[in-house]
Amino acid sequence: MRCPICRKETTWRDNPNRPFCSERCKLIDLDNWLSERYRVSSHFEAPDRDQAAETKPRDSKEERG
Amino acid sequence: MSKESNSTQAYDATSIKVLGDLEAVRKRPAMYIGSTGPMGLHHLVWEVVDNSVDEAQAGEADRVDVIVHSDNSVTVIDNGRGIPVDMHKEEGRSAAEVVMTVLHAGGKFDTKSYKVSAGLHGVGVSVVNALSEWLDLEIWRDGFTWEQSYERGKPLAPLKRAGKTERRGTKVTFLPDAKIFDTIEFNYDTLAQRLRELSFLNKGLTIRLKDERTNKQADFHYTGGIAEFIKHLNKNKEVLHATPIYAEADRDDVHMEFALQYNDAYTETVFSFANNINTVDGGTHLSGFRSALTRAINQFGQVQGLFKDVKENLQGEDVREGLVAVISVKLQQPQFEGQTKGKLNSDIQSTVGSFVYEKLMEQFEKNPTIGRKICAKAIDASRAREAARKARELTRRKGALDSGGLPGKLADCQEKDPERCELFLVEGDSAGGSAKQGRDRRYQAILPLRGKILNVEKARFDKMLAHEEIRALITALGTGIGKDDFDVTKLRYSKIIIMTDADVDGSHIRTLLLTFFYRQMRELVERGHVFIAQPPLYLIKKGKSLRYIRDEKEFRREVMKRATEDHAVEIDDGKKKVKLEGGDLTNFLMALAEYVELFDKLEKRIGDARPVDALLKAELGKKMELEDKTKLEIVARELKAEGFKTELKLDEEHNLYVLTYSNETLGERTIDWDLLSSADYRRLLDLHRRVRDFDKPPFVIATNGSQTTISDRKELLDHVMTLGKKSFTVQRFKGLGEMNPDQLWQTTMDAEQRVLLQVRAEDTEAAENIFTVLMGDAVEPRREFIETNALDVKNLDI
Repeated sequence: MRCPICRKETTWRDNPNRPFCSERCKLIDLDNWLSERYRVSSHFEAPDRDQAAETKPRDSKEERG
Repeated sequence: MSKESNSTQAYDATSIKVLGDLEAVRKRPAMYIGSTGPMGLHHLVWEVVDNSVDEAQAGEADRVDVIVHSDNSVTVIDNGRGIPVDMHKEEGRSAAEVVMTVLHAGGKFDTKSYKVSAGLHGVGVSVVNALSEWLDLEIWRDGFTWEQSYERGKPLAPLKRAGKTERRGTKVTFLPDAKIFDTIEFNYDTLAQRLRELSFLNKGLTIRLKDERTNKQADFHYTGGIAEFIKHLNKNKEVLHATPIYAEADRDDVHMEFALQYNDAYTETVFSFANNINTVDGGTHLSGFRSALTRAINQFGQVQGLFKDVKENLQGEDVREGLVAVISVKLQQPQFEGQTKGKLNSDIQSTVGSFVYEKLMEQFEKNPTIGRKICAKAIDASRAREAARKARELTRRKGALDSGGLPGKLADCQEKDPERCELFLVEGDSAGGSAKQGRDRRYQAILPLRGKILNVEKARFDKMLAHEEIRALITALGTGIGKDDFDVTKLRYSKIIIMTDADVDGSHIRTLLLTFFYRQMRELVERGHVFIAQPPLYLIKKGKSLRYIRDEKEFRREVMKRATEDHAVEIDDGKKKVKLEGGDLTNFLMALAEYVELFDKLEKRIGDARPVDALLKAELGKKMELEDKTKLEIVARELKAEGFKTELKLDEEHNLYVLTYSNETLGERTIDWDLLSSADYRRLLDLHRRVRDFDKPPFVIATNGSQTTISDRKELLDHVMTLGKKSFTVQRFKGLGEMNPDQLWQTTMDAEQRVLLQVRAEDTEAAENIFTVLMGDAVEPRREFIETNALDVKNLDI
């Protein structure tokens, strides 16, 4: 898997900063959240905006209660 | 008068003083060489080697040999001018003997002979002599060889002229005194490291280290000087720029050089030297270098307009991350400070500073790419520093506000035991209002969040979580944030439930929240604290009975079930008539609906319906069917008949046949095992087998004697849905806000009735992927993603 910030190849196992490669990248990510740099865009030139809706996580476990 | 007799007299006359010096050294060796441990032992070698390096610095030598013998005695040879052998007027002995026996005697020659001198700690080689069991001195000078031997610092005889020679230089061999040192075992690596360092610092000088105990040998010779030192330090590191930045100059009687190169690490590795002495505590030369580096990078970044994302100037600590640098100065009579003399005190900070700044700017202008890379790295460092500060601030705020410091829009629950508490993250204010009224206020807290909408350009809406929303979220959760401050045990609720509308906006907020949790509060997800509420999509009413329905599939089944209660479908395949009704009809219609959906999806992926038809007709689906051409040829014939060009090839890597087909609109497309083994195709083939016997239009719908004929499967489905919906009223909830508080409680919040999806690690990874795609500027992958992942979302208009 790749680090969401620097795109370097990184591992999930035994990596305290996962999904990041390092504490540095995790901090840059936090800065992005706090500085409102993250935007989800609906722009894709398709006429029906509703088509972007399918973002439900897959393989979710159902739980009663 | 012979030199010898004169010296003998002088030797006698001064012996008291000499003995006094040497006694002092032997009594308190640590005062002179730091310790009698391994450090002090190696110090002896440094003292002798420094004399040779001084010759090299004066341009009189280019070669030093250091040999460790099997008994741990050490020989140091250089090809310099040789220690002066003439008589010392004041002392009445040979100058060489004075150097070997009088403390700080080396200094007497320094100002005359050397512009600059290391004189490591200024004690001189006499200390080495005093602390050696024996020492042999050999000098090649003025065409002769000169020799003298000592024991524990005392000369056994005056300096003696031996034979003739063409050589020049000095050779010192000594055995450290085992009575003084804890150990006299020299360490090869310690020697090698310092000797390598010396050869970096004196470019062109060759130093050979030979260890006769092990026959190990190394030659150190670096024409690149400290630039090669940098390369050595960055060996096996990922560097930001291939060539180190290097410059040297002589100004105000100071020789200065520096070299630097950035790597991808976050630590700083900087060595500073003054007259070859490693100034471990830095000093004026290092401060000058550091402030110039910060100034130059800030200046370059400003000019290039790189600081849009940074509020203030870059700090020293920002520009030093990943920095590997060496600054070396050589000056006359350097002033050092402190017990260990590891800090340079001479007033050269501004001289070094302006030199470094000028040279750096020159280099950045010549190589703006390198300058920009270094700036980018420093900006990252600055942002990380800023984020860490904000994280601490957020966490501390939370700590100080256990009573009443919670965010204003949080409707908290009464219970304090986190085990029993739930937090609903609700999208939008109106839904937040319903949730606040509908909840069980003892255990359920509500935090309304609103995605900030940015109308970036025509037909483009960006959604994000505002700074205040994230602050409120972190504060409400109570865990703090950041490496040292995030503490999952401080979580105030055991369930965090994301409750958003089932539309685009809702899914965007959910994606943002899940991504935030996944990236910054991963443990919440891993410990199973995060859930997604499942509000209903439909309410079906018939008379007094109510039924809430959560998804499209369930809704379709419900509607079809109602429709088939009083309708039947007749199919005539030419041979016989078949009548489908009741459960059989519902099952057929459900399968048909899914079949149509999947068919459309595949058609979109492939670009045309005809290849999908041809594949299904041939019922191609097993891997072994690609091992020969038979079935693929059937498909190929079908496609040819439809006007495609086709070609059968063998994929030798997998030993399977691949069918390519093309026409002008589609270009070339491929039917291969990847396509046939995809989940969508497998399911489609399965459905095809279930519906094929009855999927034979025209369909005749029979209702209480009247009949309607329908020619197409899609029309059949639409018709049945319309019939089904007639038998009851349907309410579609377009958002949580359309439900009243009671409805919201019953369907979504009441722990006795609701259904929650628990978010697992792989779910958030999916969110991460979705996030990356939806967030990206690249339109193409976003369109592709939406087309392949969102095709089953239909906008059912009711």
